[in-house]
Amino acid sequence: MKQLITLSVNGESYQVAVEPSITLLDVLRDGLGLIGAKKGCDLGNCGSCTVLLGGKPVLSCLLLAVEAQDKDILTIEGLAENGQLHPLQQAFIDYSALQCGFCTPGMLLSAKALLDENPQPTEEEVKEAISGNLCRCTGYIEIVEAILKVAQSNRGAE
Amino acid sequence: MKKYSVVGKPVVRVDGRVKVTGQAEYSGDITLPNMLHGKILRSPHPHAKIIKINTAKAEALPGVKAVITGKDTGPVRFGFVDTPRYPADEYPLAIDKVRYVGEEVAAVAAVDEITAAEALDLIEVEYEPIPAVFDPEEALKDGAPKVHEEIIPTTTCAWEDWGVAKQARPYKVVNNICATTSMSYGDIEKGFAESDYVREDRFVVPATSHAAMEPHVALASFDSSGKLDVWLSHMSLALKQYWLAKTLGIPVSKVRVHKAFIGGAFGGKINLFPYEFLAAFLSRKTGRPVRIVLSREEVFTSCRLSHRMIVNVKTGVKSDGTIMAQHVKLINDPGAYRGSSPVVMFLAHAFCNPIYNIPNWLHEGVGVYTNKAICMPRRGHGSPQTRFAAESQLDMIAEDLGLEPAELRLKNVRKPGDVLPNGDRLDSCGLGIGVWKAMELTRWKEKRGKGNNQGIGMGLAAMFSGAAYYPFGSGAVVKLNPDGIATLFTGQPEFGQGSDTAMSQIAAEELGLTLDHIVLVSADSELCPIDIGGFLSAGIFVSGEAVRRAAADAKQQLLANAAEILEARIDDLDVNNGHIYVKANPEKALSFSEIVRNSIQKHDADSIIGKGFCKPVPEIEFYPSLSKGTGRFTDAYGFSVAVAEVEVDPETARVKVLEVTIADDCGFGINPLNVHGQLLSQAVMGTGDALFEEIVTEDGQIINPSFADYKIPGVFDIPKFRHIPTESIEPKGPFGGKEVGECARAAVIAAIANAVSDAIGVRIYSLPITPEKIFEALENKGK
Repeated sequence: MKQLITLSVNGESYQVAVEPSITLLDVLRDGLGLIGAKKGCDLGNCGSCTVLLGGKPVLSCLLLAVEAQDKDILTIEGLAENGQLHPLQQAFIDYSALQCGFCTPGMLLSAKALLDENPQPTEEEVKEAISGNLCRCTGYIEIVEAILKVAQSNRGAE
Repeated sequence: MKKYSVVGKPVVRVDGRVKVTGQAEYSGDITLPNMLHGKILRSPHPHAKIIKINTAKAEALPGVKAVITGKDTGPVRFGFVDTPRYPADEYPLAIDKVRYVGEEVAAVAAVDEITAAEALDLIEVEYEPIPAVFDPEEALKDGAPKVHEEIIPTTTCAWEDWGVAKQARPYKVVNNICATTSMSYGDIEKGFAESDYVREDRFVVPATSHAAMEPHVALASFDSSGKLDVWLSHMSLALKQYWLAKTLGIPVSKVRVHKAFIGGAFGGKINLFPYEFLAAFLSRKTGRPVRIVLSREEVFTSCRLSHRMIVNVKTGVKSDGTIMAQHVKLINDPGAYRGSSPVVMFLAHAFCNPIYNIPNWLHEGVGVYTNKAICMPRRGHGSPQTRFAAESQLDMIAEDLGLEPAELRLKNVRKPGDVLPNGDRLDSCGLGIGVWKAMELTRWKEKRGKGNNQGIGMGLAAMFSGAAYYPFGSGAVVKLNPDGIATLFTGQPEFGQGSDTAMSQIAAEELGLTLDHIVLVSADSELCPIDIGGFLSAGIFVSGEAVRRAAADAKQQLLANAAEILEARIDDLDVNNGHIYVKANPEKALSFSEIVRNSIQKHDADSIIGKGFCKPVPEIEFYPSLSKGTGRFTDAYGFSVAVAEVEVDPETARVKVLEVTIADDCGFGINPLNVHGQLLSQAVMGTGDALFEEIVTEDGQIINPSFADYKIPGVFDIPKFRHIPTESIEPKGPFGGKEVGECARAAVIAAIANAVSDAIGVRIYSLPITPEKIFEALENKGK
């Protein structure tokens, strides 16, 4: 039986009727048309579906939509504000920290969650934060560098 | 060196913004009105007769719109290889029998994925399991289970369709042999006789998965006029278009492959897959769009693997290390269907041929059917297997003879200007300088041979820059617009390698425009000219050159128009930043916009459209002989020299790759950022191949079809990385560019294998180099 739930995504409130068994990922993609979260494995192994729930990264393929009601959800579509790229997005472009782009939304959101909580992480902490996000193209080094660059400018801002 | 303003510059990707904002649409992100969802029922048996299929219950399920079996699709054959000698052997849905676990048996289209999945459970298939064979050497024996009977072509073969004047012949399968290859040069017996030292070794390379992050997807929509629109995960729109048209019985021009972003490929998305045909077939049957998104498990089990290979190498050398003769014998196990077996066995030689000057060689291979998943190209296609074997053996020979292994390589590497036995000429070749620079920058001599669980090793590899394969070349169109901006049309598919950026850079440079004055239309079969695709590393060298020529054509037209308006000779004009000016009087200048608008008014609305074409190895009509290795292969080779430094934990036998150095000759790097990215990508991918990637099967069943069980490198597995540019100028390439994205992986694998051996003093003869194998080898050594 479908039930009506309310999701707060990227600052907007959506009412959707969902089966209790449906995942947040499927609701985002099929229900709300937010296709930035990717389905790379649907088993919680690859991290492509990562979104932020209450600021924390979650694997939206493992989370039921009904469990995501009370907290703000941030997807990649909500990361840039008023057409202005988030510094992480700009750094990923500048450092060529993406190739095919399929893992990029999840990778960026894992990085954002880290920097929000820990604005000046060490390289090891950056690696830890994205260790659940697989990338087959880039070889990761530029991703780590891009995140550290943004962290460094955080330092400059203080 | 010439001064350029756009190529050779580290400009950021043109597709960066849409990718970081989540706007980039991959095929699985696209939905069409009234769209149905398709799912595929697959064989649970490695080898079984299909006695009966009952679809009645599935058809009766509400929401199910179509259920099809092999009876509906019929004996439609397709394959990566479909030549007069080797006719295609695959069906979209099994007919009468299944030959591997995961083979397609039936397909369903329903209103949603859940209903489609339920319908699969309601299809009743009665199988009669029959004896299966999993080991290629067992399969070769008399009396082994027969995976195939005679393969009788039901239509023309692809090569006939493409213009080769030879008809497809029935293929009689003897001892499960699906393909053979035998090529030679010089006198192998004489070469061994003249050698001071000969050794022979056997190496084994398992199947691995491409594991692109985007699972394979097909969205197909037939309209009522009979035209098919598709969005696919692909590497060549021409090949997908051809095969869909052929299997569906419609003209090629009525299949439109649309542009969609492609989430990684690595060779794993080249050829037609059953799910793509099935999406189209179901769409035609239901009159509605059908999308099939494969699960990650289906990608692992049914979307092809890299080639399993047993490589036997016998090499003879003089006591000073000069290679005199090499005899390579391959046993290739492509699985239940031929896959790319004859091609990989050919390339296993052709990619190695340009590395060392070997005066006498014999290269033989046999491809053998087994009841396992099918194998296809993966980044380097045959090169990782043979480089691992041959480079490992070179180190062993060096040790046996007391020679320095890097110097042994230097003694034998080919040089610029060398002509290969098949006639290919190395106009550019950065091998020698690569070995030198890599030795120097890694402090090779200080580190090599120290043992104590620390090791350093080297590996060399080479790669084509495109070769003759359908559609045999690329075209490009550059259309000038009245505002002075140019629209570039190229069929090159962007799957992460950076072709959209590189093609835009090449057009901008040739035209004298900035990058933001290029609008790109790529990989749409209805809008773009033919394109050779993004495999065999043809992108920059073939399609890039077509783009350059199209831009040059447009530029010539702009110059002719400007000369007319400025009343000057073309030779007296120059182009800069969207303007044409008189060299002697730069103030006399016209913008592209003014020139185009003038041309429209004065020349019957000719708005200036440039076109360009490029064919790899223009002097050969179709293809080299895969089985004999005769005929030209490619016009330019890319080269990689890799050095790996490793540390082996004496307690756990775990290998840690500390640093990978790649000295790479990719010609002139069109985009240094992307060149670096391609090489780093291969350093990390090669680390996975060398140390842990392996598809494991039990009784034909893949037992690790997930990222939990099949490990690919994560962020904690990556080595430090150093890229040494040993770039050359390839005279035939656009601005001197050639291959960059495939070569290095094989070199890295070989370098890591040699580094491990340097560290622990024993040799591991198979990939991946796991702690178990190291323990075993050390124990045997102790005995």
